[in-house]
Amino acid sequence: MATVLLPGLLATEAGGRKEFDVDAATVGDALRALPVRDLVLDEHGEVRSLVNVYVDGERTGELEAAVTAASTIRIVAAIAGG
Amino acid sequence: MGVMLLVGTRKGLFLLGGDDERRSFEIEGPLLPGWSINHAIVDPRDGSMYACANSWVYGGTVQRSTDMGKTWERSDGLGLPEESELKLASTWHLEPGHATEPGTLWLGCEPGVLFRSDDSGASWQVNEAVLGHETRDRWSPGAGGLITHSITLDPEDAQRLWIGISAAGVFRTEDGGTSWTPANSGTEACFFPDDRFPEVGQCVHKVLAHAGRPGRLWQQNHCGVYRSDDGGGSWERLDGNGLPSEFGFGIALDPGDPDTAFVIPEEGAENRVTCDGRIGIYRTTDAGASWELIVAEEPAWAAVLREAMSQDAEAVYAGTQSGHVYALRHDEVVEAARHLPPILSVEAATAV
Repeated sequence: MATVLLPGLLATEAGGRKEFDVDAATVGDALRALPVRDLVLDEHGEVRSLVNVYVDGERTGELEAAVTAASTIRIVAAIAGG
Repeated sequence: MGVMLLVGTRKGLFLLGGDDERRSFEIEGPLLPGWSINHAIVDPRDGSMYACANSWVYGGTVQRSTDMGKTWERSDGLGLPEESELKLASTWHLEPGHATEPGTLWLGCEPGVLFRSDDSGASWQVNEAVLGHETRDRWSPGAGGLITHSITLDPEDAQRLWIGISAAGVFRTEDGGTSWTPANSGTEACFFPDDRFPEVGQCVHKVLAHAGRPGRLWQQNHCGVYRSDDGGGSWERLDGNGLPSEFGFGIALDPGDPDTAFVIPEEGAENRVTCDGRIGIYRTTDAGASWELIVAEEPAWAAVLREAMSQDAEAVYAGTQSGHVYALRHDEVVEAARHLPPILSVEAATAV
């Protein structure tokens, strides 16, 4: 089971959970398994432009990128001030 | 009877509970912290609360609460079909459907699209006639984007409603949304160099139908204030009758008098602050033949956005981008809140 870590607002929308263990062979599988998939992915299934995805510390924009049961996928929102 | 104001801000939703006299208000919130609330309503048919909650990272959503904001549920499957080559950018305006259609709601969104729900907001279906409108290639986004910000119903005919899109204009349906006809005859597009009265392309800022007189519409436009008595078939311009400016965003109506309306003019498109160094609410009681000034506050250089005026049977309400909320009742202006985050919307609901 890969582990997905969510930032604050997504965790709130996921019922207060910051961490999900999901059955996934790819990044896309993992993101689509989340209860907040509609916030991470747009209606065409693409990662929203200001959502960043890291797998074991490496940033990836590829939904097809492979993950393993030992992978940690971290979602990071773009940040700006104001 | 008291009032509850739903005040949408860039940083969450606030509820202002007002007393019978609209002199005292208590603030609750922020609800939905982290979300920018373009608009929020209470559906008078069942008491459910809805919010157009947007995030510049996570996109546009509709959130629903059946316990007055204690818990929220996000609508599922809100988006545009892939073949449209468009993506939903943000949610802007919620309107409960006709009294004869319980569970029906309308939702206006960017980019110039309309959705309908028949299950109290659990799911939404895009209106294909607006999405594929034959004039869409002549629409252009305003400063807020290409937004469907106004949805207003005929009080008697559930099949008849109007929408306002910036900058596309006003559109009317007589068949429940199967087809839409431009309703811009007589409204100016003063920013166009040549044809200033086109079929579409007008920058309507807010359009409202009066619930007590079928066919009477009021409109605050980028280029004037207008009234229609024939359901948008034609418009009469009203801002030469005593208003300091043609430009403004919000408009509010008196539900008990179709001849009474309120606007808060701003200096102009290039200097979007209230006129003459004050927050001036201008009221007409003669269908726009004349306007009188009521000063809410001075000195002040504020801005009131298109969703940030509302009304009930007792008062008119306005919220500023500087975070103040005012209530006007019987010529008396009360400051209902101050120093909220920048205000995007104000909607009045009956207190429970």
